[in-house]
Amino acid sequence: MIDSMRKAIDEVPLLSPSASQLLQVNADPHCELEDVIAIVRYDAALTARVLKVVNSAAFGLVHPVESVDRAVSFLGGWMVVSIAVADSAARLFQKPLTGYEGERESLWRHDLFAAFAAREMARHGRTPVPAQTAFTAGLLHDIGKAIVSDFLRGTSGRVLNDISEGKMSDYLAAERQLLGAHHAEVGFELARSWGFPEVLQQAILLHHQPELADAEIRPLVYAVHLGDIVAMMGGCGTGSDSMQHHLATGYADCFDLCPQALEQVMLVAQMEFTKAEASLASAKEAGS
Amino acid sequence: MKELILGVGDLGASKDPGVVIKTFALGSCVAVILYNPATRAAGMVHVALPDSKINPEKTRERPGYFADTGIPILLREMAGLGGRSDGRRIIVKLIGGAAIMDKNDVFNIGKRNLLAIRKLLWVHGLGAIAEDVGGNHSRTVSVKVDSGAVLVSCPGRGQWQV
Repeated sequence: MIDSMRKAIDEVPLLSPSASQLLQVNADPHCELEDVIAIVRYDAALTARVLKVVNSAAFGLVHPVESVDRAVSFLGGWMVVSIAVADSAARLFQKPLTGYEGERESLWRHDLFAAFAAREMARHGRTPVPAQTAFTAGLLHDIGKAIVSDFLRGTSGRVLNDISEGKMSDYLAAERQLLGAHHAEVGFELARSWGFPEVLQQAILLHHQPELADAEIRPLVYAVHLGDIVAMMGGCGTGSDSMQHHLATGYADCFDLCPQALEQVMLVAQMEFTKAEASLASAKEAGS
Repeated sequence: MKELILGVGDLGASKDPGVVIKTFALGSCVAVILYNPATRAAGMVHVALPDSKINPEKTRERPGYFADTGIPILLREMAGLGGRSDGRRIIVKLIGGAAIMDKNDVFNIGKRNLLAIRKLLWVHGLGAIAEDVGGNHSRTVSVKVDSGAVLVSCPGRGQWQV
């Protein structure tokens, strides 16, 4: 990895304590909603945001929700994690991905879509896949692009040419050749410096190579990998690298997917993503 | 120029010459673009999936999401702007329907979208005169109502006319 990129990782501010705790809780397949409520309750700013989101027009509630318990129960753990991460790492998620010719917020939109798609994919696992963890890992899987993008400026056209001419196998290989590390490796370094749970670190590192994950977390990493692909197919990519990554075909060992099942995953992820995006945006406009 | 922005599953038609109809980031989705040179009306639907049977609720809420429900409604919208109601003399262009890098039937939603759309168009006596479909890239597309000119762009690949 080039030195300036390592320095950029070191300079990224830490996540808020609440966001870090929520990631820890959500990485545990046995986590309960009460664990999430307990974290939100002791963070006034997060409580205010959660209440704004649940009462936003996107959910169309007739009677306003005024308690944290009811708000978290209604939204679900995944929305609370999304709110906490969006607030805590807004600078990273919202910046334009210039190196990928991606618009402002394209990283956030992609990760949020991929999170819902990974969660839906978890329902099709041949063995149980923790949906909450799949969502959280999906939400964070491309965080490395926020760093890598700054070092890829002006390379998109050349990289796409190299891929189409067969000189590079995919965008991941091109990033590695240009910078000495690709976005998944950089995301892993960031996740490690932020003290993410091990399962999230591994999902971020291996989301393009899920076949390399340890057997016990492999279905989860495949869910994130497939969620990433579905988000790109659904038009929520991060720019020039959209659909320029390989599908890890070993997914069929972990997931029972027919064309109709995949279309259902796409549809539900799209609907949930649209609702979540609207509620987060309107809560922001409401003056948070 | 005023922009009429269509999200996933949206459809719209206009004969206001100052309007550009636009939709962003078609991955496996397909934009079906209609242009009637006689009335100078243009329309577009952003189709995400081929068949509405998988979710009747979504179909009611956003029929443009599916090829089988979106295209007939777009044809009606176009007819409402004047011209023949059977769709004849309408120019059709198809944009999108991209695939992932690897051959995989399950994940080729773009191909299934295109098959369903072509079949629907055929039923209405229509066929595309121009297509920019398939490949492994996401496309943003716009159509100028005054001329029917279709412009496609993609990050890292620039823009081109179809």
